[in-house]
Amino acid sequence: MTSASPTIAPLSPEAKAQAALARLSQARKDQFLEMLGEYPNKRSMLMMVLRLVEEEFSCITDEAMQVAADLTEMPVAHVQGMVTFYTHFKRSFHGKHRFMVCATLMCALDGNTDAALKTIADKLGIKAGEITADGLFSCEKVECLADCDRPPVVQKDFEHFCSMKGQVLADYVDGLLRQEGKTEADYRGKPGVVMDTRVEVMPSHFTFTGERDNGARRFDDKDPYLKEGQGESVTRIPRPLHTPFSSPVADSGLKPFNPHTAEANGKADKHHG
Amino acid sequence: MADTPAPTEPKPIVPFKPVILAHIHEDGSHTLDHYEARGGYAVAREHVGTTDPASLVKLVDDSGLRGRGGAGFPTGKKWSFLAKGTGKPAYLAINGDESEPGTFKDRHILERDPHQLIEGALITCWAIQSHQAFIYLRGEFILGYERLDKAVREAKAKGYVGANAFGKGFDITVTVIRGAGAYICGEETGMLSSIEGGRGYPKIKPPFPAISGLFKCPTIVNNVETIANVTHIVKNGAAWHRQWGTEKSPGYKIFCLSGQVNKPGVYEVPLGITMDSFINDYGGGLRDGKKMKAVIPGGLSAPVLTPDMVAKCTMDYESLAGLGSMLGSGGVTVLNEDVDLVDSIFNTMRFYHHESCGQCTPCREGTGWLEKLAHRIAHGHGRQGDLDLLGDVCKNMRGRTICVLADAAAMPMQSYLQHFRGEFEKKLHDPGLDEKARTFRDEFTATAKQATREHKAPSVLEVGLGMDRT
Repeated sequence: MTSASPTIAPLSPEAKAQAALARLSQARKDQFLEMLGEYPNKRSMLMMVLRLVEEEFSCITDEAMQVAADLTEMPVAHVQGMVTFYTHFKRSFHGKHRFMVCATLMCALDGNTDAALKTIADKLGIKAGEITADGLFSCEKVECLADCDRPPVVQKDFEHFCSMKGQVLADYVDGLLRQEGKTEADYRGKPGVVMDTRVEVMPSHFTFTGERDNGARRFDDKDPYLKEGQGESVTRIPRPLHTPFSSPVADSGLKPFNPHTAEANGKADKHHG
Repeated sequence: MADTPAPTEPKPIVPFKPVILAHIHEDGSHTLDHYEARGGYAVAREHVGTTDPASLVKLVDDSGLRGRGGAGFPTGKKWSFLAKGTGKPAYLAINGDESEPGTFKDRHILERDPHQLIEGALITCWAIQSHQAFIYLRGEFILGYERLDKAVREAKAKGYVGANAFGKGFDITVTVIRGAGAYICGEETGMLSSIEGGRGYPKIKPPFPAISGLFKCPTIVNNVETIANVTHIVKNGAAWHRQWGTEKSPGYKIFCLSGQVNKPGVYEVPLGITMDSFINDYGGGLRDGKKMKAVIPGGLSAPVLTPDMVAKCTMDYESLAGLGSMLGSGGVTVLNEDVDLVDSIFNTMRFYHHESCGQCTPCREGTGWLEKLAHRIAHGHGRQGDLDLLGDVCKNMRGRTICVLADAAAMPMQSYLQHFRGEFEKKLHDPGLDEKARTFRDEFTATAKQATREHKAPSVLEVGLGMDRT
């Protein structure tokens, strides 16, 4: 790629912030402007701005991180550092319906967590840490959700449920299946795919140019600092969402040991003893 | 104080009715109308902008209110440490990042009585002369955030919050911030880092937040329950608060009861009642007539108690400290005789490994080692010397990190090892493991140790902790 011309000045932070603001819907734009007056500086708005873009983009995608970075005048690397530090943000590798099952001691007593995970696995064919092949449902074990008197606690995206035992959880999953026009049979015998939690690295000058019919996002990585006609515009086709985890280790059939996804009785960990 | 005679008259028993949780079961208790109908905001209206702030700090100090977040530091003392005359604004940061497993008291305050918290925040802001209060909630409190946010808007519309609060010429902004699932943001400086818009890394103390906290300005960090208490103490006086509880732990506290009991839930009780009475009278005893095996008295990080210790334990800061445990955030979890304690310590260690922020090596690595060792023992692959190794790792974690997460992970492990060593040893000599495997394992361990002694191999830790290479 041709190098950037030194004669062209970079976009000012204000211009970037304006462009980022234009990406938000009117209601969230108002919410952002209301917040502006309340915080001592823009950096401290970051937690709430991330929540804002999470709602706007329905999960924190790469362009959502870029928008959050531009709104708060922070480097996108810092934003990415935050998004990967905090585990509750919904990310693009999660399913449309994201199940979070509390696995901490108080919920795990009496086998409540295992029972909830089993119900989900029976209905959708996914274990903790997996996503259905169609990207609709994902399931993960999380740590304490602070409702320990009524185990097991399950959150589905931004809904909180307690005492999700037996039929209650089964009925809830059935309801979601009906909502999606699916049945249990659609997932029977189809193993889930391990969620790929790696992040993509996006240079800051990548601009979001729209969404394709199949839901894949399209980026135009034309350098905005170049004049019209300079350089070349390359459309970057992003990695498809929810690809199976693949690495030399995974391909060789030797799964790396991960106690978070290991079977509860541990007998399945052949390599472990 | 040394010349004061030690035995004193027992305090008269004053009947206690819930104070903070008094109205949470009523319909619409989270609305402004409901709160004002029961006399809400009268205390703030009376004191904000008129009463001498120093007298309010003194009142809270006299009441003996101690922080309800876990450390139990006297609230009035903390307020009086706030740096004055720095020319910088002071901030109030309210910690609602209730992530300690077994604790769910703040959830009930935030979801069912948010105005009580806002009124407490207004009074506190006036007492410490701060113009801004941040309320940091954990991201998982979805309903709590909605209701608190709505409550702040309602109070703002009424002129209680915002510029010229109550028309007294004092501006108070209340800002609600949501976290996103990081346990470490419950640590006060970790929370401040998060409010500042960064990863929730705790900062080294001193300087304490009261000197240099949020944006390097003097900051008071208090728990949600502590701030909710302030309104009642300012309304009723220090002596009223002291009529319950013990000399050093006055007042009442919300305890969260979970685990295998008949009636788990939140209970607001005077401090100093016996734990036995709490579990049996309030919690209805153990479920299914089982026997008690252990009690975690103050959230997952509190050292575990045996039934013998529970029998002589009262629920106040000193009694639990005397038993080598802590009151912590008040999350009591009861485990019955069927619970496999090695499994539960593995679960506990997994939690801390997952939640370690990764700043300090003893914690980042130590929690991982504890998890792997506990996993190994729990699943019947433990080796001779693993228990000593666990103790050794714990010893090397404690007191060597920026925040106390490493201690919080090491304390339960040490207490389990101390009180329930037999359970671990039973697992180490797992009869389910066949003779051949056991012999091999023991030989492998012995060879590794011998090799280390002769400097022929990497350290025993490396061999012992590495995944089996067999």
